[in-house]
Amino acid sequence: MFKILKSLSNSLGGKSAAKKQAAAAKPGSLLDKVNKGAPVAKPEAPKTPEELCGLDPKMDKDQVLAQLKLLFRRYNRSASSLDAQTRHQAEKMLDAIVQMREKHFGEI
Amino acid sequence: MAEYVGIDLGTTLSGLAYLKPDGNPEIVPNSDGERLTPSVVFFDSHEDVKLVGSAARDGGEPDRTIFQIKRYMDDPEHLVDIDGKKWTPAEISALILSKLKRDCSKICGDITEVVITVPANFNELARKSTIAAAEMAGMTVKRLVNEPTAAAVYYAHSQGVKGRVLVFDLGGGTLDTTILEVAGDQIKILTSEGARHLGGSNFDDILLEAYAEQYRKQTGTALYTDERHRRRVLQATEDAKKMLSKLQRVNDTVANDQNSGIARIDLTRVEFEAMIRHMLTRTVFLVEQAMDSVNLKPSDIDHVVLVGGSTRIPKVKQLLEKMFGKTPKSCGNVDECVALGAALFAKKSAKIQEVCNASYGTLAMIYNAKTGEEKLANSIVIPKNTPIPCSRSQVYQTSEDNERVIEVDITQGEDEDAKFIDVIGRITLEVPPNRPKGCEIAVTFSYDENQRVRALVVDKQSGRSKEVAVSYKGAGVLSPEELKRRSAHLRAMRIE
Repeated sequence: MFKILKSLSNSLGGKSAAKKQAAAAKPGSLLDKVNKGAPVAKPEAPKTPEELCGLDPKMDKDQVLAQLKLLFRRYNRSASSLDAQTRHQAEKMLDAIVQMREKHFGEI
Repeated sequence: MAEYVGIDLGTTLSGLAYLKPDGNPEIVPNSDGERLTPSVVFFDSHEDVKLVGSAARDGGEPDRTIFQIKRYMDDPEHLVDIDGKKWTPAEISALILSKLKRDCSKICGDITEVVITVPANFNELARKSTIAAAEMAGMTVKRLVNEPTAAAVYYAHSQGVKGRVLVFDLGGGTLDTTILEVAGDQIKILTSEGARHLGGSNFDDILLEAYAEQYRKQTGTALYTDERHRRRVLQATEDAKKMLSKLQRVNDTVANDQNSGIARIDLTRVEFEAMIRHMLTRTVFLVEQAMDSVNLKPSDIDHVVLVGGSTRIPKVKQLLEKMFGKTPKSCGNVDECVALGAALFAKKSAKIQEVCNASYGTLAMIYNAKTGEEKLANSIVIPKNTPIPCSRSQVYQTSEDNERVIEVDITQGEDEDAKFIDVIGRITLEVPPNRPKGCEIAVTFSYDENQRVRALVVDKQSGRSKEVAVSYKGAGVLSPEELKRRSAHLRAMRIE
């Protein structure tokens, strides 16, 4: 396995060097571009908490908990994003994650 | 002069402590006689004065009163407009720090150098803004220390414990969980996890909705229609929340500002706990996240320590007791132990081993020779929980022939998926022309004691290199010149 440097703006393409530099100066701006492709941003995103959390009825309890923990780590981080939309989506996901935990493991 | 001073610059309350000659820390009250100062600033319209503390919180006009500015310390675009002047979060925080410095120095002597506490998951910009705020208030920041670390230092000092300690710090605006090992004077931080916007003020907001709902049911009208009245009711809900930590039921009466009548509010602790249950489940996730990140089980933890005003909620203690099978302990006053620990840290910092609070790396196209798969991923150079200060390198290859400019994105976050990390900066390095792809580029990250990151990129063939400290631009980020100018302006202000 080897690693090749890849600037995020290069991988997304289409910006001049000057614009890239300006964008790089602001934290979060490049990530915003990546987030355009994030599952939570799509209007056709799944609607039920199970679907939002990617839970499959075939999963055993350990797998469910591992999946919920992974999602919590991700969206807890997104919940402090500077982008209001990302924060809002993260809050919705965190609610769904908590709901699924209560469903599968009981209320605290 | 006070030699060892610690400041807890909190979301809702701030406090200053100093180390007495006997080696014990003590909270220094402000000029209003309070041990802790509400982190609230009021800009008076009649006199050229800035009120900080209880006077600012309890009176004044809502649109001239600034609450919880700490929540915006990482927002480079956040500005507060008062009479046409735009204040950055660092400047507002500087007013709070100025009040602490001016008031407390009358008791403990001149204050020039301080340790300031920050939430464990404060990012680069928020840390930089905190340092700038202190500079504007006329103080040099000796070190920034994570709030749960400071609390743990105080706990270890006052209780003389040893072993593995989990600090659960649920404050007004944030939750931090830190796991550390204590052996005599030596403290080794293992990990910290944090949740922003999860704290007592979230519980107050939930109670406010309950008040508004009960009022609407009884009178058919809205409980508040403007910010001034909303603030008053919010204060009442905060009081009710505190009472529910001691009593099973509280009764209150509220009225709106439209003479629509009085409503009797009836709340039980059970109802309140049900209202905040989802938020508390998040705290359980966060504790588990901290444990998982260092491969520990609940039985590996010797002591669970409570910090922050919201840990007075009985359900919080019950949850932790259930998780760990032992009664959580408080280190004295849960609101004061962070400042007290910061003062101790000012003297003992050499004996405290901290870790990186986040992973740092860059974006790279990862090729798997076995599967032939390739994907853009977050390639971590310094993993979270690496003891600091530290420096780590990783060698990458260029992707195209005749690549003239190497661009290295600096990432912060543990996730391999680039969608779930932050790109916090970039280094651009010009390299010689006419080279094939596959040239080696070394990327080195260094992490200092204040949890600030620097990155160095070296083109191994030509030897060309560039090093940067992560920097930010935005309306709310001050240049060094502007910082100096505003510092001088701030020191001439009347702050009460």
